[in-house]
Parts: sequence; structure tokens; C-alpha cells
Amino acid sequence: MINSLPPGFIMFIGAFLIPFLPKLGRQVYMIFLVLLSAFSLFNGFGTHLTINVLDYNFIINHSDNLSLPFAIVFHIAAFITIIYGAHKDDWKENVAVISYAGAAIAALHAGDLFTLFFWWEATAFTSVFLILGGNTTRAYRAAFRYIVIQVGSGMFLLAGAVLFLYSNGNALLGQMSIDDTSGLLIFLAFGIKAAFPFLNGWLQDTYPEASEVGTVALSSFTTKLAIYALARSFAGTDILIYIGALMTFFPIFFAVIENDLRRVLAYSLNNQLGFMVVAVGIGTELAINGAVAHAFAHIIYKGLLFMSMGAVLYRVGTCKASELGGLFKYMPITAVCSIIGAISISAFPLFSGFVAKSLIMSSLGYEGLSFIYFMLLFASAGVLHHSGIKIPFFAFFAHQSGHKPKEAPLNMIVAMVIGSVLCILIGVFPSIFYQILPYSVDYQPYDFSHVISQLQLLTFAAFAFICLWHFKIYPPELNSTVLNSDWFYRRMFPAVISNVVNGLKVFNEKFSLNCFKSLTTIKNFFHDIMFENKIIDREAGFDAQIILQIFGIIVFILIFIHI
Amino acid sequence: MFFSKLIKKFGKINSAVLFICIILLLLEFAGHRHGEFKIEEFLFFPALFGYISCIVIFKIGVALRSIFMRDEDYYD
Repeated sequence: MINSLPPGFIMFIGAFLIPFLPKLGRQVYMIFLVLLSAFSLFNGFGTHLTINVLDYNFIINHSDNLSLPFAIVFHIAAFITIIYGAHKDDWKENVAVISYAGAAIAALHAGDLFTLFFWWEATAFTSVFLILGGNTTRAYRAAFRYIVIQVGSGMFLLAGAVLFLYSNGNALLGQMSIDDTSGLLIFLAFGIKAAFPFLNGWLQDTYPEASEVGTVALSSFTTKLAIYALARSFAGTDILIYIGALMTFFPIFFAVIENDLRRVLAYSLNNQLGFMVVAVGIGTELAINGAVAHAFAHIIYKGLLFMSMGAVLYRVGTCKASELGGLFKYMPITAVCSIIGAISISAFPLFSGFVAKSLIMSSLGYEGLSFIYFMLLFASAGVLHHSGIKIPFFAFFAHQSGHKPKEAPLNMIVAMVIGSVLCILIGVFPSIFYQILPYSVDYQPYDFSHVISQLQLLTFAAFAFICLWHFKIYPPELNSTVLNSDWFYRRMFPAVISNVVNGLKVFNEKFSLNCFKSLTTIKNFFHDIMFENKIIDREAGFDAQIILQIFGIIVFILIFIHI
Repeated sequence: MFFSKLIKKFGKINSAVLFICIILLLLEFAGHRHGEFKIEEFLFFPALFGYISCIVIFKIGVALRSIFMRDEDYYD
């Protein structure tokens, strides 16, 4: 029975013992849980556990070639995050990290939509505590917005699942179409978590508000779970190519003007998700391999970048580019790890980003999607600009900020070094890395053309940045808020609703006043006729009243007869 | 002499990047560089594309500052 439980389940359940353990015991116990969970990955492919309730088969544990690479990297991410957070004595955060990672891993093994829904919501409810861990008023507010949106995504999934079950007689998690209402609802649910354009505001709004450990955990699971779900159910859906291309394109500009470096990374995360979504949209074996490889590599190098910025935040107390600079001297190991992460995300040869992104670019080439290809090539230059250069440059170089912090704690350094080594190993030994991908692949990323083209693209983009900086054309970073799609529900909708309510209130007041005035005028008018013009005096008044009363009675009778 | 002047004027790291750029341009002639699309095979295409993209991103970024940038406490 224990063997047939889905990987991650033991982490989710085991998390509830954490509050009763001492600090050191907690870390050891958490790592033990991750290893125990990872052990279940050796069960092999197939359906290992189904539970029948009310004639419905919940497929609790299903594993295949698509879920395995995601499960492997989710375990690696959980392991690294636990080490990274070992300096903190915060059992609440520990519970959140391990149960969140467990829920995400268990979600990968869901074989039907209702099981997926359960874990989908579990990831939302566990991860919100990581944002609350930011312990600021902004974090509390962001956490509230986050849970509303994440639960909203779950509701779309549930509605889609119910409709899917009604129309198909089963709710298996397999290939779907957006032409059906059920498919469209599920697509929307996945799209919210994958941060599609205009549904992405929650990502940049909330991730940077979490604690330094929380952000690392958040960056690994939720969005990649959505990519997995899209690859599982909507591979080859053409619209994803265009959605993904927009996702790679727009966040670049926002990342360039953003001041908070963790928020820059959140935009960058959005941009990287775009590459994966494009690949899922293409849907060929090479493209799906590219999406999975990119998600795998991305979790590690993005985690590494978030870890390095988290270390800066932990030591300096801020992550704003305008208040940082010159930290290389004081935090050299963190800086080197950050640079390795930056080089990896920029996709320099011999680093993980290159061997993953090449698969996607080549699959675009094979499909002849030239416009999308060049959009992604443009986005690649943008990645170098905002993640490859901006992150390490403004934090560790640029100008002297006056901060003289200590190097990051040992546990943080260990976690970052593990991440850095993985980035390099994946880049240096792509053939081993490619073996865990869903489809067998005969692809060689290191040929003359690929390497020279990529190096020219990136080096000249870097040279352009150098020119802009050297000749003082690059504007200084400013303390600011950059408007994003969350503006619609944080500012526009409240403003519209407030204006409508106020408008109705004013209208009601004016309407009441005018009605009162009109009635008074009418009353005065008749008053004038009846009294001031002496229609009702003793001689004519009684006659007039009698005539009026008779007339009234006749009218009443006529109306009554007519009805 | 030239290099020492360059380093003095442009800095060590910047000069190194410039040097690498020149090497990469020269490497273009070391073999046939093919691309996913025909246009990529034009001489120095990736270099020009990278340089121009970065400038365009910067220009658009600066332009967007006036539209999307607000005070830090805008939402507070």
C-alpha cells in the first residue's frame, strides 16, 4: 500500500509532524521525507493506485514518461529549498514548504481531473502560507489576492471537470480540446496558473512579497505544475504558440524598468514560461522534450537566481536595484552563484539553459514558424538584458551602495552551490540530461552553427548593454511601482465599482430631491388654483366639490366597467 | 599600446567583451554557419540581431517608464 501511494503524498502528510520536532530534527526529518518520496519514483510507469468512491475511480497514482522528469526536478527543488531555509527557526514555513512541494508532486501523479483538482487546491492553500511568511502588511494583502486567484483557478478546473465527466462519462486527465466548454474551462484554469498574458498579475504581485525562502519554493512548483498540465492535456493546441510568444515578449520590457530585483525575476519567470508554452503549443516530440527540458533546467537556474537575491535580501534587507550595488566584495560566493544562474538563464553554451532552449528553437525551425522563432530570439536577447546582466550587475557591481554585509549563511551557500553545479552539469552533459525526457531524442545542441550563433547573439547583446552603461545612456534605477495586469483588479475594478456606487447614490439623492420639489410645485399649483383664486369659496366651493366628486365617481365606474 | 589605451578608456571587463566580440565575428569565417531560417545565414546576422534587440528593448523600456511607472507607494 505504501509503495502505491503517490510520490509527494508522504511529504504532504508528514508535514503535520514538523511542529512537534526541534529545529535540527525538523531539517533532517524534511530531507528524510523528500528522500522517502523520491524512492516511490522507482515504482515504474503505470497506474499504481485507484480508489473507487460512488462508482467513480479516482486515479491517485499514475506515472509515465511525462510526469517522471517533472517529479525528479520537483524533488531536487524541494531538497535544495530545505537546505536553503535551514538557517531559519520557523516551523510554519517548514510545514508550508514541505506540504506545498508534496502537493505539487502528488498533483503530477493524478490520473483524473478530480484528483488533480484536489492537489491543485492543496498547492494553493499550502503555498499561501509562504507569502504570509513575508510578515509585512503588503505580504498579507498579496496573500489574500493570491488565494482568491488560485482558488478561482481551481473552480474553473472543477467546473471543467464536472462538464467533462458529464459529456464523456469519465474524467481522465488526457488530451483535451478547447473547442468544448469543459476543455476551455480547464484550459483557463491551467492558464491562470501558467500566468498567461493578462492572467499573470498574481505572479509578479505575490512572489516578491514572500520571505527569501518562500520565494524560492514558490518559483519552483505552481507554474511548472501548470506547464505539466498543459503538456498533458493541450499539447499541439495552436493558440498556445501565440500565447507563449506573447508571454516571452511583453515581460521583457516590464523587467527592464522594474526596480525590485526579485520582481524582475518574477517577470523573467513569466518570460521563461512563455518558451515552454510555445513548445507545448507546437506539440511535436522534439518540442515537448524542449518544454520539459526547459522546465527542468528553469526550476534549477531560476531557483538559483531567487536564492542569490534571497541571500542579498537576508543580509542587506532590500532587493531594490536602486539601493544595491558593490556587494561582490562582501558576498563573492553568492555573486558567483548568481552569475552562474544568470549565464544559465541567458542560455550560454555549456550551461543548462542552452541545451534546453535549443530544443525549442530547433522545433520552431522544423515547423517553419519563422515569426515566432524570431520573437523568441528577440526574447532571448531580452533575457540576457534583464536576468543575465541586470540581476548580477545591479546587485553586486554597478555603484557602491555603502552596504557591507556578511557573506550568506553556510546553508544558503550550500544550496546555491548545488544549484550552480547542476546548471553546469546539465549544460556539459546534455546527453545524460536528455535521457530523462519523455521521448527518446537524437539531438546534438553543440554544433558549430548553434554555438557561434548563440554566442554572437548574447555577446553582442551584452556589448550593447555595456555601451549604454558606459556612455551613461542607461537611466538610473528608480524606486517605483510598475503597473502590471494586477492593476485591473487592484485599481481599475475597485475604482469603477466605487464610481458606480457613488454615482447611484448621488442619482438617488438628486432624484428624491427633484421628486419632492416637483410634488411640492404641483401641490402649490393646485393650492393656488383652489384657494388663492377662490375656486373653493363658500358660494362656488360646495358646487365645485360636488361636481368633482360626481366626476370622480363616474370615472371610477367607467374604469371598473372597462376592466 | 593600443590595448592599454583601450583598457584605460573602456575598462578591463568591457575591453574583454569587445575582444570576445571581435573573435566571434572572425570565427564566422572558420566554417559554414547555418541557421533554422535562410536569413540567419547572412553575415554577422546573430551579432546584429543581438545588438539591435538589446537597444530596441532598452528604448521601449525607457518609453514605457512614462506610461507604467508610478510612485513606490502607489497601491498602499
